[in-house]
Amino acid sequence: MNRYFLYLVLLNMLINVIIFVPKILIEYRYDGAVMGVLIAIPIGIALNYLFSTTLTKFPQQGLPEIISLLKHHWFGVVHLVGIQLVWFTAGLITLISFIDILTRFINPEMPKLLLLTIFLAALFLIIQMPTDRVMYLLEIILFLNTPLIAFIIFKAFSNEYLSWDSMLEVGTHIWAWPSLKAIAAATYCFSGYTNLIIFNRVIKGKLKLWNFFIITVLGVFNLFTTFFIPIGFHGSDGAQELLYPWITTADSLRLVYSPIERVIFLFLMFYMSISLMSISIHWHVALELLKGTFRGKVNMKKNWIVLSFFGVFSVIGVIYLNALLLNKITVYWLIGRLGFELLVVCIFFFWARRRAA
Amino acid sequence: MPSNKVQIIKESLRNKILPSEDVVYKELHTKEKYIEILYIKTVSDGMVIKDNLIIPFFEIANPDQFLDYLQSLPTIKMFEKEDGALDELIRGDAILFYQDHIFLLDSKVDRNNSVLDTTVETTIQGPQSGFSESLPTNIGLIRQRYPQNTLEVESTTVGTISKTKVMIIHDRKVADIQTLHKIKQFLSSIDIEMFQTGEQLLDIIKKSNRALIPVMLVTERPDRVVVNIAAGKIILLVSGSPFAVVLPTVMKDFMSSMEDIYQTYWVAKFLLVLRYIGFMTSLVLPGLYVAVTSYNPELFRVQLALNIAGSRTSVPYPSFIEVLLMLFMMEMLTEASIRLPKAIGPTATTVGGLILGQAATEAGLVSNIMIIITSSVAISNFVVPINAFSFTLRIMKYFVLVLGTIFGLVGVVFGFLLLVAYMVKLDSFGQPFLTLIQSKPSKKL
Repeated sequence: MNRYFLYLVLLNMLINVIIFVPKILIEYRYDGAVMGVLIAIPIGIALNYLFSTTLTKFPQQGLPEIISLLKHHWFGVVHLVGIQLVWFTAGLITLISFIDILTRFINPEMPKLLLLTIFLAALFLIIQMPTDRVMYLLEIILFLNTPLIAFIIFKAFSNEYLSWDSMLEVGTHIWAWPSLKAIAAATYCFSGYTNLIIFNRVIKGKLKLWNFFIITVLGVFNLFTTFFIPIGFHGSDGAQELLYPWITTADSLRLVYSPIERVIFLFLMFYMSISLMSISIHWHVALELLKGTFRGKVNMKKNWIVLSFFGVFSVIGVIYLNALLLNKITVYWLIGRLGFELLVVCIFFFWARRRAA
Repeated sequence: MPSNKVQIIKESLRNKILPSEDVVYKELHTKEKYIEILYIKTVSDGMVIKDNLIIPFFEIANPDQFLDYLQSLPTIKMFEKEDGALDELIRGDAILFYQDHIFLLDSKVDRNNSVLDTTVETTIQGPQSGFSESLPTNIGLIRQRYPQNTLEVESTTVGTISKTKVMIIHDRKVADIQTLHKIKQFLSSIDIEMFQTGEQLLDIIKKSNRALIPVMLVTERPDRVVVNIAAGKIILLVSGSPFAVVLPTVMKDFMSSMEDIYQTYWVAKFLLVLRYIGFMTSLVLPGLYVAVTSYNPELFRVQLALNIAGSRTSVPYPSFIEVLLMLFMMEMLTEASIRLPKAIGPTATTVGGLILGQAATEAGLVSNIMIIITSSVAISNFVVPINAFSFTLRIMKYFVLVLGTIFGLVGVVFGFLLLVAYMVKLDSFGQPFLTLIQSKPSKKL
């Protein structure tokens, strides 16, 4: 079932539009973003490869099951709590930022908290499902949306107003010293594999090499699209002005013969499901890890306490974080995440090797 | 058995079966022997009793020979327990007291054994006959179409009062043992007084007895049943119902018609895609109309948006009331046309659909476009081939409509996603109800 692995990676590649990755890359386009992207690709692939091959030593086991093999329970708890915080915040950032996008572009008159309620309703339904069911849902949603998103990307590439000169101009800054922020942002596209710590439960069989080949091709294409298409549309200087470069880019597209003329609506409708799925994958991981830290059986009461914490944090986040603040936080979050990811992968890799030896 | 014990049993049976008009207690005498028969004539077949019992009784003179005859008759069972005998008596067996023996003669009358035409799941081509209302006939129909020695038929009873006989049929070679076990467990856990037909299981499956989406398929087509047996599914036949229950059932089964295998490949695929489009249309369209007209009219290109707005100029209330009004009328029409006698049916649809729709627009109560939407929702609702699921769809669209009314476009998308997520969450006897790639049932024995 190697396709499940690809879905997880693909989901993160699609969702980077929401989580400020294009904005960060474009901000540093003259100051090392190009080189940063180029460096991020091998880092991302290497982490993918290391982590997933290590995990195949524990077939159909999630991290809680693996940790339970450890002698020191407290170590496992610290480990799990740390990771689940990162996952929860990943989902939270996507959630807050997408709600901001929705109020900006689709429902400007609707209170954000009202929008949050429907998000939370859907999330609470999805993240409590068993892991394999979440995966099935992800598969269905990707099946419904990815072809249409690919179509939009195709329309973007074939648009006559796409200025390849602007892209080339940015491309000439390739030798600028790579910026850490750009690297952190660009590696986010590859970090879908980390969800394997729970979703390894549903992955049967070994991951073959062509999986990583596909990821490489997709990743390169995805980073190029994320980074350069907005520049091509809005010019190398103009792109900087935008808070959500990709959504504005989608708004610059027009389907001449379609009853829905403005691509932005299609784009946002697809991204509603994609981002819902991304948040639920992250939160599902967080929830399952939390369940792993509790010893023994998790009852309904504990479950709802955790869920209400999720809810309370997202309400606070939606109330107090505006887009600009969130953007600033996200930059540092992305860097922290990269470091954390490196740490987790390395620890896990060496621990698994020592255990195997 | 000692003769005094036989006497006691006889007396107790006669006391327990109250003196009804249709209870027959008869003694037959010849010179050498005599026999007593107890049966209920309304549920027993008089011909069977006459042919198998009365005529041989007078033809075979020797008492011992007649005993041999009785013992070797395939429709005769030995008496085991008083309760069991009473049960069988009520179902139509005749109880025979001969010498010191008690026998049960299977003389159940088999009414309603004529094979019915399919009326619910009709196809243009392929077999046209469905099941009958008689259990033995139905099993015969299945055996005829599925001549495999691995076909297993087990029986159980459901219902505290009705004591309805339920047959569990499956192919031992392909059916999943665990699923079978789960189904048996489920059947034995049912607590219900009157069990009449397999459709009742649709609700009982939920702990709360309140299910929205059916997770078992009820069909009237023997060909569908046989195809499903071959695919490893398990069939329940209920006595007295011309419908079979297919377990476990997934979404794909609800969207497939038997016609799919009677058509060429591309035609079948086209029809399948058509059904899914119909499903989506019926589900999303009313909600989308409200979201687009009331929240995001800029979604459509200008001409179309103006067109819709123009047709709504005379409508004096918000779009969701308009939609609710029309959907309500449409539901009424659908319900009425089911209940109406066949002769008046077309009149009702003409009056309701054509005249009412026309008048409603002219009076300015609803927009023209709303009429188009209502009718396309109604039509595409019934593209779904299985009736139970198409009724579910009728309700699900209101969920999307409500969310669309409150949240606009976001609500429509989320309403759809929530329903999909709910369906993914469901499972039918261990099989996930909705997945993109439905894995084949496991073949292990």
